[in-house]
Amino acid sequence: MKVTRRDLLVWSAGATAGLLFTPVPWKLLDDVSIWSQNWPWIPQPTRGPVDVKLSFCTLCPNGCGMRVRMAGGWPVGVAGAGCHPVSRGALCPLGFAAHQLNWHPRRLSRVCYRGNTSSWGEARVAFTKACGEGPIMIIDGHPGRAASSAFETFVQRRGSYRVVPGQETRALAPYGTWSGIPAAALGYDLENAGTIVSFGAPLLDGWGTPGRLTRLWAERAAGLADPQLHLIQVEPSFSRTAARAWQYVTIRAGGEGAVAEGVARVLLEEHLVPARGPMPSLTLVEVAEQAGVSTDAIRDLARTIVARPPVVAVADDNNPAIAALNVVLGAVGARGGIVRRSKHIRQDVCAEAAIRGMRAVLIDSTVPWDFVPQTDAEVFRFAAWDGGSTKADWLLPAPGFLEDLTDVPTAPTSGMETYAVAPSLAEAPTEVQSAAQFLSSIDPTLVTVDKVIHTRCSEIFRQRMGTLWGQDVTPVAKFVSVQKLEEELWKGAVWIGEPHHAGGLRCQLNDWPEAIGPARTSNASPPWLVPVLPSLASKLYQESGLRESPEGRSA
Amino acid sequence: MSARYGMVIDLDRCTGCGACMMACAAENNVPPVPRATPRTGLTPMLVRKVSNGGEGVDRREVFIPIMCMHCERETPCVGVCPQQAVEVDKATGIVMQMPQRCLGCRYCMTACPYHARYFNWWDPQWPAGMEKALNPGVAVRMRGVVEKCNLCHARLHSATQKAAATGKREINPADYVPACVEACPTAAIRFGNLADKHDPLSLEVRSPDTFRFLTRLGTEPKVYYKSKEAWVRALAESNSGSGVETKRG
Amino acid sequence: MARTPLVFGLGLAVALLVGWVAFPRVLYVQRHQPLEFRHKTHAEKSGIVQCSECHAFRDDGTFAGIPSIAICTACHSERIGTTNAEATLVENYIKPGQETPWLVYARQPANVWFPHAVHVQRAALECRECHSPYGESDEVRIYQLNRVSGYSRDIWGPSISRLRRAPHEGMKMSDCEDCHRRRNVEVGCIGCHQ
Repeated sequence: MKVTRRDLLVWSAGATAGLLFTPVPWKLLDDVSIWSQNWPWIPQPTRGPVDVKLSFCTLCPNGCGMRVRMAGGWPVGVAGAGCHPVSRGALCPLGFAAHQLNWHPRRLSRVCYRGNTSSWGEARVAFTKACGEGPIMIIDGHPGRAASSAFETFVQRRGSYRVVPGQETRALAPYGTWSGIPAAALGYDLENAGTIVSFGAPLLDGWGTPGRLTRLWAERAAGLADPQLHLIQVEPSFSRTAARAWQYVTIRAGGEGAVAEGVARVLLEEHLVPARGPMPSLTLVEVAEQAGVSTDAIRDLARTIVARPPVVAVADDNNPAIAALNVVLGAVGARGGIVRRSKHIRQDVCAEAAIRGMRAVLIDSTVPWDFVPQTDAEVFRFAAWDGGSTKADWLLPAPGFLEDLTDVPTAPTSGMETYAVAPSLAEAPTEVQSAAQFLSSIDPTLVTVDKVIHTRCSEIFRQRMGTLWGQDVTPVAKFVSVQKLEEELWKGAVWIGEPHHAGGLRCQLNDWPEAIGPARTSNASPPWLVPVLPSLASKLYQESGLRESPEGRSA
Repeated sequence: MSARYGMVIDLDRCTGCGACMMACAAENNVPPVPRATPRTGLTPMLVRKVSNGGEGVDRREVFIPIMCMHCERETPCVGVCPQQAVEVDKATGIVMQMPQRCLGCRYCMTACPYHARYFNWWDPQWPAGMEKALNPGVAVRMRGVVEKCNLCHARLHSATQKAAATGKREINPADYVPACVEACPTAAIRFGNLADKHDPLSLEVRSPDTFRFLTRLGTEPKVYYKSKEAWVRALAESNSGSGVETKRG
Repeated sequence: MARTPLVFGLGLAVALLVGWVAFPRVLYVQRHQPLEFRHKTHAEKSGIVQCSECHAFRDDGTFAGIPSIAICTACHSERIGTTNAEATLVENYIKPGQETPWLVYARQPANVWFPHAVHVQRAALECRECHSPYGESDEVRIYQLNRVSGYSRDIWGPSISRLRRAPHEGMKMSDCEDCHRRRNVEVGCIGCHQ
């Protein structure tokens, strides 16, 4: 029997008809649609039990309280922790995607020596050799932590310890110089202020502990015709804070100090305040000339700010003229002004960019990347993310966000002393080591971070001062054992010291201080303190145009 | 009893920090897209800056967070969808977008008067290993579909589940707070159930300072805005784009 | 006899044979579970009565699904039997503290949100109404993986035609809808999708 072409066609017709009465086309259609709804190459979140843990943001020294949602043992979401008395449940935009930073493409995961892959062993040998050959310097970005303690102990006979203060701490430096009290022990008592005059400080845009002022402003000023809190912004550009301030005074760039002088002169000449500070050297006409505002505007400003006391002026950076204005205003060592928040803080020595006479310099991962040492010493730089600097001889991968146990000392601008413990919540990559761990591996007798934390907890317990803010607010005196106190702190509670010592701060000033260098000129947005931004910041920069992209900090 | 979830956004309190945008994107597994522009990006919550056009001391600026307004009536996106991928949920009033059902025709994007819908131009990509940091309560969307604010439905799910575990049908309102509401550092975004007369939000929407955008279209949006400044309230009926400094259409 | 109908019929028959007999065998690939777990034996020996004693709810209402290795370790920290499965369990999973890579018959796609708490704790449905009385059986079923969709055969149900299937067979969206319609419970898209 010969198979003809016609047979084939008829057979196919039969097969096709038959196929329609089988599940093949219908089932395949269904399966293909399910497959296409769940493409295998689309990443799938992992499953697992969900849990919420309290911790603290360690990206900058402010240490805002965080509620971290964990799924399957990994942080999957971050929100503000309302029980934190300083940050009060708010975070800056970065915080909300901070848990994604650990997977950032610029995450450092191996030891690099001058651009080539090296190992921890070799780094250890090089650092040990350097320690034997000459003095070393350790530079810290978040002073006052347990790790800082370990650094200081390490350099005791080996060299020196320096810090890189943030802008907010630098702004407090003049009071430190005039009063002899370390700037790190000072803060602002903004909660009790009636008027805040900001000279270019981005008060509503990430200044200090971001949530502190925004919450305060929202409760006492936002949208009110006669607010309880007068927020006055003196700034060259129409910033986010200027847009929302109660009053905005536009000035020429760099004219902040001159305006402060002018306001002080009006206050003293018109006897709006008791005579307690030096008379400024500039005349009102000179001020108007330098700041690009009319003399009338300066008079108005002076009269406005004293309308609702207490008044405090906030500088954006180290600006003695603004500090002197606070002296004239009587805001130093007063309620609602600059206060001394803690008794026992040592004076830290600030790091200079030019470092001489050192055999090696170790830079902790908390130091911002814009600090680039100019030195011929061997530089060991710890960093979790590559911030783009090539000045370091050794680039050592440090733990990222929530990957390392640390404690959180008082935030730079806070008016009250706080202490908290941020345990590690995420598993760090194996190649990662913190500076404190590295130093411990060189000097096994060096005190470890958890030991220092334990000592500090014991100290808090021994003094029986302050309160612990967690799920409840408990006075330390109510705790029966240090273990119990430590347990609470490890679970995310915050210790608050006794109320500030407003009277403990006095600034004597006979002559109006001389201006030091121009203040930061560009103040459209404060710079972020982390070397890289969460990739999601692309929403803010390129997809919305809400913020101008910071240069060299690609999202 | 069915709920009608809505919001009041107090524009006098918004500082334009962008925390809502970041929190929204992190909660809903919105991918960062290195190539995206304001026209092709994915921002279910988008803060726009609007100026009154004045100079010097007359200059005023306001930041307006724009999201899906969850229109209650004649919902424009529902009517045009050929796939029934959008519906107004009867139980909650949430305008729900089902990306898996979407075929990507983008009629809804054209229909939406608020430009609150976004198209996935690229497959979502995260650095290797970052799946572990994604929110397990929200499915990741693929390229070629439209998405938008679903009012953090994953949080509604968790709240429902938690209530059901104790045999309850009604959720505890404290358990269901969308990410943007939770993130706002000035509490400018308030959330609540408009169907509940005792909800503070129901009182707030009746305040004379409260307004909604483009009410003349009759879509009854459930997202309200609030401002004491008359020029801001006047934006409500202006045509989209006029006076708004935005690079989107 | 006419040749054309014969050839047509032959084609028809081949297609039917392929579609009904060969196709299901080709579509699904058979996978064995990592362990020989016997529900009945466990129930009898340890006196477990309720499914939820092992397949537990967490405090927040989420369902833990297949128990974690910690629950197995409670009894099996050392070998308590002589079978190969016992040795595999203890040596491969319990001692290294590794989760058993069970193949989950009822695993739904990521965009499905099925709240066990709502169905079991609020609506008081029995486990067997969806999961069959598998918990009473004393065998490990072979997991059948759909080559195209990547999901278990249990989602479609054992019958390839989906005709005359038992109420607990099949876990497709239409099955959910049918049950909801029968019980007069209305939910929108958001009720089951995430």
